[in-house]
Amino acid sequence: MFVLKRLLFVILVVWSASTITFFIPRISDINPIRERFAELARLGGFSAGELEKIVESYSKAFGLDKPLMQQYFDYIGGVMTLDFGVSLNKFPKTVLMLIAESLPWTIGLILVTTILSFVIGNLVGALAAWPLSPKWVRGISTSFILFQGVPPVLLAILLIFFVAFKLNILPIAGAYSIGTIPDFTFEFILDVLRHQILPGIALIFGSLGTWVLSMRGMGITIQGEDYVVFAEHKGLSSYTIFKDYYLRNALLPQVTAFALALGNVITSAIVVETIFGLPGLGFVLITAIRSNDFLVIYGIVLFITITVAVLMALVELLYPLLDPRVRQGQE
Amino acid sequence: MINYLKRNVSLTIGLGLLIFLILFTVHGLLTIEFKQAYPLAVRPKQPPSLKYLFGTDFFGRDLYTAMVVGVWQTAIIGLLAGAAGTIIGIVLGFISAYFSGLVDVLIKFICQILTPIPAFLIQVVIASSIDKRDVTIITMAIVVFLLSWMAPTLVIRSQVLSMRERQFVAVAKLSGMNSLEIIFKEIFPNLLPFIAAAFVAQVFQAVFASFYLAVIGLGPLREPLLGNTIWAAQSQSAFFNGWWWWPVGPSLAMILILGSLAMINMGLDEMANPRIRNKE
Amino acid sequence: MKISKLSIALLAVTTAFSMLTTSLFAGGHSLTKVPREQTLVLGWSITSPIGVTNPFASTGYTHQEANNLMWEGLSYFGIFNDEEIPWLADSMEYTKSDYTQLTIKLNAMAQWSDGTPVTSKDVVFTFESQKNNNKLPYHANFKQFVDKVTAVDDKTVVVDFKMPAPRFKFQVLTLKFDTGIPIVPAHVLSKVDNVNEYEGGNDMPHSGPYNLVLWDANQKIFDVNPDWWAVKAGRISMPEVKRVVMFNIGGQVGQGMDVVAQRVVNNEFDATLDMRSSVIGNILRQNSKVTTHSADKPPYGYLDWWPNSLWVNTQLEPYSDARVRRAMSLLINRELINEIIYEGAGIATIYPFPLYPGLEKFANSPAVKKLEAELQPGLYDPDQSAELMKAAGFTMNSDDMWEKDGKTVSAVINGFEGIHSDIVPILVEMLRNGGIDADINFGTDAYQNMADGKAGLYMFGHGASLKDPYTALELFHSRYSAALGTTAGSNRFSRYSNPEYDKLLDEMAPLGGDDPRFQELAAQALGIYWRDQIDIPVIQWLHRIPYNQTHWVNWPTIANPSLGMNGAFWAHTGMLVVSTLKSAK
Repeated sequence: MFVLKRLLFVILVVWSASTITFFIPRISDINPIRERFAELARLGGFSAGELEKIVESYSKAFGLDKPLMQQYFDYIGGVMTLDFGVSLNKFPKTVLMLIAESLPWTIGLILVTTILSFVIGNLVGALAAWPLSPKWVRGISTSFILFQGVPPVLLAILLIFFVAFKLNILPIAGAYSIGTIPDFTFEFILDVLRHQILPGIALIFGSLGTWVLSMRGMGITIQGEDYVVFAEHKGLSSYTIFKDYYLRNALLPQVTAFALALGNVITSAIVVETIFGLPGLGFVLITAIRSNDFLVIYGIVLFITITVAVLMALVELLYPLLDPRVRQGQE
Repeated sequence: MINYLKRNVSLTIGLGLLIFLILFTVHGLLTIEFKQAYPLAVRPKQPPSLKYLFGTDFFGRDLYTAMVVGVWQTAIIGLLAGAAGTIIGIVLGFISAYFSGLVDVLIKFICQILTPIPAFLIQVVIASSIDKRDVTIITMAIVVFLLSWMAPTLVIRSQVLSMRERQFVAVAKLSGMNSLEIIFKEIFPNLLPFIAAAFVAQVFQAVFASFYLAVIGLGPLREPLLGNTIWAAQSQSAFFNGWWWWPVGPSLAMILILGSLAMINMGLDEMANPRIRNKE
Repeated sequence: MKISKLSIALLAVTTAFSMLTTSLFAGGHSLTKVPREQTLVLGWSITSPIGVTNPFASTGYTHQEANNLMWEGLSYFGIFNDEEIPWLADSMEYTKSDYTQLTIKLNAMAQWSDGTPVTSKDVVFTFESQKNNNKLPYHANFKQFVDKVTAVDDKTVVVDFKMPAPRFKFQVLTLKFDTGIPIVPAHVLSKVDNVNEYEGGNDMPHSGPYNLVLWDANQKIFDVNPDWWAVKAGRISMPEVKRVVMFNIGGQVGQGMDVVAQRVVNNEFDATLDMRSSVIGNILRQNSKVTTHSADKPPYGYLDWWPNSLWVNTQLEPYSDARVRRAMSLLINRELINEIIYEGAGIATIYPFPLYPGLEKFANSPAVKKLEAELQPGLYDPDQSAELMKAAGFTMNSDDMWEKDGKTVSAVINGFEGIHSDIVPILVEMLRNGGIDADINFGTDAYQNMADGKAGLYMFGHGASLKDPYTALELFHSRYSAALGTTAGSNRFSRYSNPEYDKLLDEMAPLGGDDPRFQELAAQALGIYWRDQIDIPVIQWLHRIPYNQTHWVNWPTIANPSLGMNGAFWAHTGMLVVSTLKSAK
């Protein structure tokens, strides 16, 4: 029953996400097929004589001439059968193929940076609220919060220019070194990791502050709770209290927030990927947005929403395991 | 009051920065010539000097003027969107918590369903779909607040819920106050710290989101919004060409704005939570 | 601590997962190692989907992303030597003096990479496909001009035209810049159900010098074909570039050029997309081994065939009034543009065509010069502009904008961020200073607005003329001027309609470019273009491509024209550029 409720939740989230995203790109009447040709034309004159006829025949083939509501139902029907359609701008690639090809380059970066940011940020935030922490911890946490104002874009540009270009410590851009053949060797993996350091730093920096702030708030609330006071009276060491009572309880709501954060990090990733030339999901998305390749846009937004919703549902299913109070039927 | 500020360090820093920014902007608005924030106004590509405090850009804008106008426009977006989001949050949160029943379930349900949708992403999609001629400061504010009102709604709702059961409300009811009076005279004042915190958070989100949209080129391109300036600097390879002052100015301004808002948020958090007040 | 154990576990799982998926999509060919001195590294924003190598695949295919190294044409054109370079065909001659018949003789040794010879069957297949398949780019040209295509023997093809087609051979059958058609293998594509959906894949048989050995999200790698027919046929010596790596710099074409510039300076890239004026200068200053078409002197590049104008939809009010169009042109200060954006180089222009040798001669001819003095197309005169606006019925409103019937003159300039981010803001400001309500639109709907003829101005090029002004002037012929509410073809946004103009063009059509009568009519047509201000010419277009000479030399420059082709490795002629590079050692 509990599981069913969560499943229903996921389905509803996905449905509302797909409905919202369906109609938005249709506001503009840009045709992604025509945009592809425009892209080619821009570099110096691709002159298709009857561009319009080509565009028209493709539009018909994709059902773009049907009434909007009809297209909506066709689309929802397709999603149910996991058919996300083809990319109009990059025909004949399907949306799923595009996502699959670019996902590897994004997953590593996004997951690692979100996790690192989560871990470091929450730890610092928790310590900042713990009354026994030294003063300098509070200083660090304050500066992390201030860093929220540093735009990842600017940081990326600065890092590339100073660290990569001028100082030549780390590679400038790209997912791996030019001319390397991708292979499951240690060398290659190291190469890829080296290329992810700067983008990773750019992404983590600005997001630390959010975790610090929220965790600190949580931590402070918990401190006053009865069980902590009790533990103190029992004479448990500060370390034990910190670890088992304080941290563990404060972390629970944060995990839900983690799932949400994953969803939003992808948007920051768009710009960082573009600047560092990483051909990941963010790059595919921004290309789709610029050419109004709506099927790809829908596909990616849905993919992210499904991931986040499923993660959230999973976390809630795991709650009883982590928090005995919930097991007893509280919510 | 002063004592409290001394103890609540973050609030002090935050307010201090904010006041500095406000003074900067107000002084600026009174002394600049608006025209200079737009291209072809002054000599281009000049580094910072006495005449041009922040230098000039490739197109001939005076960057000091551009910054003042930019901060002002960013403030408008932040305040408008922040206020809109907060007001909706208050209204919906109240209605939901105080009147419970089907309305409550519905509102809570909608908020929960909409939360996992990547709002940021949707904003980018919306911003790129609207006709570029319609993109103005106002439309940006609208885009930015459209999917951000859920959080304040849920927060206010849970606070009102907890307050509804508290003693002072029961006492007020017994003494004969009607619902409206209870809302405004008893509950509302206790909610103020939370509302203030929610407002600051909303403003932060709004400024951050509008900055981000501008930086990828989706803002009203002619206006000297801070994000727009950075976008323009990037597209003209400012760093590589040695015009470092061009993106650095607006970035510093943005860091200060967002930083001050974050600090204030942190400070308000403490104010709202009495336990922290005692610890610090 | 439980938390840290958890996070370490998570980290490990994620890294492992991403590595696994990476290698899964790696393509896993066992490629030989080729040293850097034998590799050419090009930086480009690869936009076509992985695996699409079939020239007939729309919308995904483009020759620009090194696919030009696979597909060849009947002949190429070296613009700066003004010379045709015969290739798959030994000759293409008009065998009737009224230009209604063309005979093509293929080279005896022309061959596909799988050993099959290139024969007239391939040419016939290519031509007939273009004629019958309305999704192919040159379908309209073939449908309009070509009557029938006959294979006389294995190596000879005769094309009969419905009407005199003096420019067909050059425009359609010769590969230059980004125009012209390559020849495709009949034995491969005729077996395919739907040529537009067939991807082609890495191993599609082709006639060009390089084989595609790897294509993933980050790069395309090509290795030279040791059996390339052109070497055996004596056309060219074996290319010294053994491997070409086109590295995906991500982003939109034209974005993020400062990172690319840095990678040129540190010798990671040998050539890239063209740069903005200030950037190329800085590259040259920081790395003495980098050169350009014009060496280290402004304008640091060569003239491209795409001069830009501010186009308007001449059927839409208020742009339908020639006085308004002229008034806008009078607000453009072309000298100031040269000063601010091009560091003094004379790039601002008054012509709708590039100043290549043949066209420069035309522009300097006495007839044209006389018209220029009379009509003053490049004049900057805000006062005169104000007079014209008043005469057209506009009054200045309180915002210092011209207004009529409550509406200002909307001059939202639609353009493309990657290439117009420097010029458009300047133009906007110039127009605003003169009372025209201008603004920037680099949004995704920019091209759509141009095609739909929406209100506003369109910053776009005239990709047309190369030798004589006919094709450029023909852009304004009324047969392309679709009515309001329909979409215009690519490049034909003005929707200008003038029978006097049409008559001139129709008379010019069957004449050769050197015919004195042609020159006379062309001058008159250009005069009408200026007089009526069909669009507002702004700038010639430059390709400022950096050529890094650390590993490769013999790039085509003014001092070293090579075969006369332009140095853009992404154009059709890029194949010749790459094949003629010599090692720097």
